[in-house]
Amino acid sequence: MAVVFLYAAYTKLREPWLVFAMSIDAYQLLPQWLVLTLGRTIPWLELLLGLLLAAGFALRYTAAAAAILLGVFFGIMAHAYAQGLKVDCGCFGLGEPISARTLLRDGLLLAACLTLTFLALRRRGLPRGA
Amino acid sequence: MRMATLLLALLAATLASPAAQVKGRGTPGAPIQLDVYSDYQCPACKALYERTLVPLMADYVDKGKVYLIHHEFPLPMHPHAMEAACYACAASRVGKYEQAGDVLFRTQESWAASGKVDQTVCSILTPVEAQKVRALAKDPAIIAEVQQDIQAGRNANVSSTPTLILTHRSKQYRVPGGAGYEILRRFIDQLLSQ
Repeated sequence: MAVVFLYAAYTKLREPWLVFAMSIDAYQLLPQWLVLTLGRTIPWLELLLGLLLAAGFALRYTAAAAAILLGVFFGIMAHAYAQGLKVDCGCFGLGEPISARTLLRDGLLLAACLTLTFLALRRRGLPRGA
Repeated sequence: MRMATLLLALLAATLASPAAQVKGRGTPGAPIQLDVYSDYQCPACKALYERTLVPLMADYVDKGKVYLIHHEFPLPMHPHAMEAACYACAASRVGKYEQAGDVLFRTQESWAASGKVDQTVCSILTPVEAQKVRALAKDPAIIAEVQQDIQAGRNANVSSTPTLILTHRSKQYRVPGGAGYEILRRFIDQLLSQ
């Protein structure tokens, strides 16, 4: 999961932030001020989550935050797909329109992140030495 | 003498064939070049044209800041898109490419349902131009021109429409076609200020 988040951050940060803001805007869901705010912050949030996941720091919180972020992305993508919008996913840079394939991939990533969160919480609940 | 004959033959061949034209608007040496790959039957391309390209042309293209190049990219899923692209290219031979594109996008719902591409494009032409465009639209050279645009798009990894590729100082940026004009404008201003 750390590699996925770090790669997602890399593909966005190597381009001007307004290019990613335009990807968000293409979904036609959010007001411009929020599009601009998210365009600036999401790539850095992904980078931070990737680094924290790689370090295993506060894993239950980090994995839960990553799962929430992926859940929001998945919900927005599914909504756009259901509406028939022909937009780029924007997940790992541009040039990848939303399709059943991208939804399946992001759905699997979400499932993996939820599993990671569950395991992290379960490990926390186990008595020492178990 | 032999050289002069060869040059004359080349000139005659050039004049005889409907030469492919760059479907650009604006100043070719503008700081930014925007390549648009679109399909006349694609609703998102219509939205891009009406909401983004029309104001962009007034604010940047006609002021020499952006050079806009249109590429035909008719998708197989749209039954009349190829015909529309051929008519638009044929209209470029009588100097009415932009007018043809404009009427095709503005009346997209109508001709996409009826298949009346010919009537739609010819509505903005004089009878003489219409006759010429009808013949040219079926010309193998025009069909080849559309195919060249499609191939150029594939070479640039274009898989959907609309796709916008913005070039500034040799660096290319792929711009999401569905983005609103205000953010694209902000991005262009940022590049121009560099």
